[in-house]
Amino acid sequence: MDQLGIMLAVLGAALAAGLAGSGSAIGVGIAGEAGAGIMTEDPGKFGLVLLLQALPGTQGIYGLLTAFFAILKVGLLGGATVSVNVWQGLGILFACLPIAIAGYYSAIAQGKTSAACIQMIAKRPEETGKAVILPAMVETYAVLALLMSIILLNSIQL
Amino acid sequence: MTRSIDYGYAVSRLRAMENRLLDPGAFQRLLDSEDLPSAIRVLSETSYGKWILEQQQENQFEPAIEAELQYVYSEAERFVPDPGLYQLCRLPYDIHNIKVLLKGLFNQKRGGVRRMDLLTALGNIPVDDLVMAIESEDYRLMPFGFHRTVPECVMLWEQAHDILQVERLLDEKLFSLQLLIVGVMPFDGARLFVRHRIDAENIRNLARLKRMGYEAAQAAPFFHNGGFVSLDRIVSLINEPFEGWERLLAFADVSKALSGGQEHADLDSLLVDLERSIDDYLTGVLEKFRYSSFAPENVLYFLWKKEIEARNVRIILVGIGNGADKAVLRRLLRHV
Repeated sequence: MDQLGIMLAVLGAALAAGLAGSGSAIGVGIAGEAGAGIMTEDPGKFGLVLLLQALPGTQGIYGLLTAFFAILKVGLLGGATVSVNVWQGLGILFACLPIAIAGYYSAIAQGKTSAACIQMIAKRPEETGKAVILPAMVETYAVLALLMSIILLNSIQL
Repeated sequence: MTRSIDYGYAVSRLRAMENRLLDPGAFQRLLDSEDLPSAIRVLSETSYGKWILEQQQENQFEPAIEAELQYVYSEAERFVPDPGLYQLCRLPYDIHNIKVLLKGLFNQKRGGVRRMDLLTALGNIPVDDLVMAIESEDYRLMPFGFHRTVPECVMLWEQAHDILQVERLLDEKLFSLQLLIVGVMPFDGARLFVRHRIDAENIRNLARLKRMGYEAAQAAPFFHNGGFVSLDRIVSLINEPFEGWERLLAFADVSKALSGGQEHADLDSLLVDLERSIDDYLTGVLEKFRYSSFAPENVLYFLWKKEIEARNVRIILVGIGNGADKAVLRRLLRHV
């Protein structure tokens, strides 16, 4: 049964890294497409476009961070292996879900917002500050999900 | 993921291309020009400049306008995922070319001359292909169903010798083709635009036919199906004074194009303003899509704005060339 507990914890870590990373890949892709459209006409906007394109990439990092916490907790990343029963394993799996789900959706939403803001700076480069703030608002919910995942992981007693 | 995400690149590129559209300041500088050469000099400082430099003859601006439009269309063709969107905008040019060639053919049969200089390269069908098909009477390879329409036009001419009937048939074909193209598109904006455009065209025809003194029965065949306003309603308006058209069409969006109609003393002055207000009305139909970052309708919006810009440039340059009053020219300019 210990093996099943560990597997559930690993599943949680995989979902956190996989879903949040996939969301980031889609979000960065959406923003990148918009950026390429602008730079075809105005290559001078590369710096601004890069900044906005990178924003949806943070959810992938949050997912990776949560995955590290999860596998560190069950001792798969060096140190002594910890005994994990099924309920503890399920707890770790559920603790990883906030960043997995919120990371996936918020990264796509942030990608779309970034793309819209990239279009905004195409017409109004002087509004770059505002253009960064709008996608950063979406980031809030990814940060909240990360926070919750870490709190939940820490609250599970092994 | 929705299909509209496919337009992320296209819409962004068009947003960047919008920066090259002429702004009100550029139109003002054109209007302030003393004569045609100085207006062309002002135009050469804009995106039209590179085409003006290629001109062989002085004081020629029409080829530069056409070259700029051609450039924009060919660029759009490279990155717009749905060909229907630009085909929709180029179709009127195909119809124009077919009209020019058919009129030339009919004229030639009566000993007249053909006006090949009126052909434009802006259509979907290459001009050479079109000329070859119509001159050799081999219509089989004509796209968009023209392989049936063109022989029908020729037959109509041979029966009635009435060029208006031929034009009417081709106009009907234009709108039915446009409706067909937008019918298979997975977004509504293009369909809305075409239907509003049919309404606008019907209103334009209504005003022209009323001025020419047509009765309802005579005018009915000149209106096109597919708009939001029923043909019966449009036809019935011809018996009403034009001052009341806006009120009678108040239920339809197209009534906005008629706002201020009561201020006109006669139909001539209404027609002058109507051309502008119809274009502004159609711009308004597409304008709401500009706030959507991935809406495919942004392609139509940009191409329409480019067409309107070209129309404004043409109005100013032709007006200045003919010594028209600048206040009148300003009144004719469309909103870009």
